[in-house]
Amino acid sequence: MHELSVASAVVEKVLEFVSAHSVKKVLAVRLAVGELSHIEADQLRFCYVAITEQTPIQGSALEIETVEAVVQCERCRYRGRPKYWDDALAVGPIPTMQCPNCGAAVEIAEGNDCAIKSIRFSVADDGLAIPAA
Amino acid sequence: MIQTIEASPDEIYDIELEHSLLEANAQLAKENRALLDRHGVTAIDVMGAIGSGKTTLISRLVERLKDRFGVAVFNGDATTSTDADLIANQSVPVVQIATVNGCHLDANLVGKALRKISLEQLRLVFIENIGNLICPAEFPLGSKARVVVVSVTEGPYMVRKHPHMFLGAQLVVINKIDLAEAMGVSVAELTKDVHKLKPDLRVIPTSCKAGDGLDEVTAALLAV
Repeated sequence: MHELSVASAVVEKVLEFVSAHSVKKVLAVRLAVGELSHIEADQLRFCYVAITEQTPIQGSALEIETVEAVVQCERCRYRGRPKYWDDALAVGPIPTMQCPNCGAAVEIAEGNDCAIKSIRFSVADDGLAIPAA
Repeated sequence: MIQTIEASPDEIYDIELEHSLLEANAQLAKENRALLDRHGVTAIDVMGAIGSGKTTLISRLVERLKDRFGVAVFNGDATTSTDADLIANQSVPVVQIATVNGCHLDANLVGKALRKISLEQLRLVFIENIGNLICPAEFPLGSKARVVVVSVTEGPYMVRKHPHMFLGAQLVVINKIDLAEAMGVSVAELTKDVHKLKPDLRVIPTSCKAGDGLDEVTAALLAV
């Protein structure tokens, strides 16, 4: 259940953002979750709702987008989608670290992170004090 | 890190944050690794299910290595100190890391454990992770190698049921091979599954009880 610790990290960061800016209401938090990360979107949303209760960001939506896996092969220089193991008796294909092109072992290039992409919010009536980058 | 501002007419703003939620742990793991490297210490993260034989494997390896150079062990466990007690019988430094409700060790806890022992005389630290096959994969600890211990008593589909665990590993130990026949589980098939996931991943069949394969595991770990 490390979704709870990931959700806590999201909430902590968003609350930090809210206290530093003139935010009236946080509408949505967008996350990019890598295909190769071990984070389950529904569990993450459930945890988010539970721990944002009674906080200034209660009611905000957690929008989760999946970042597709990209692997890179040192041997044949392939870079792209991984090879999937289709007949593993699993409910879905399992991504592998086998090069789809030459069969050598590949490295993960993208798709194993979990990040807050953006925060969508309305500002307080008197507040245009959004800091520039 | 704030990158762009995009205002819409109804005064709703979108601010891009690009804030990685795994980065904090990854950064601490790098710091652990740098500390270990400065002292010439190699940390080995041992992952696997409860009952797969992590503690027994570590215990056997400690027996073989402790007279040659300094070895320490960190035992991650949600509640008990049974594993730590077992290793401590061998008179090597042991730190019990109680995660209480946590499902994995993280780099912060390992960093704290590293500050509890003297690294001066050490060459190897075994870090026994929590017996959980999903969460630990997400949290690097600063180890030089990650070992997954699978045992034949976990059934024939152990590897494909938990593929993520193997993608970041450097060594797989298939343990309890003395029970393979009784279990009707093929070590060769488990090995094949590992190689489907990661073709270059080394697999060593062992029986920690009978001693099979332990020379190879020792040599493999000393070479990382």
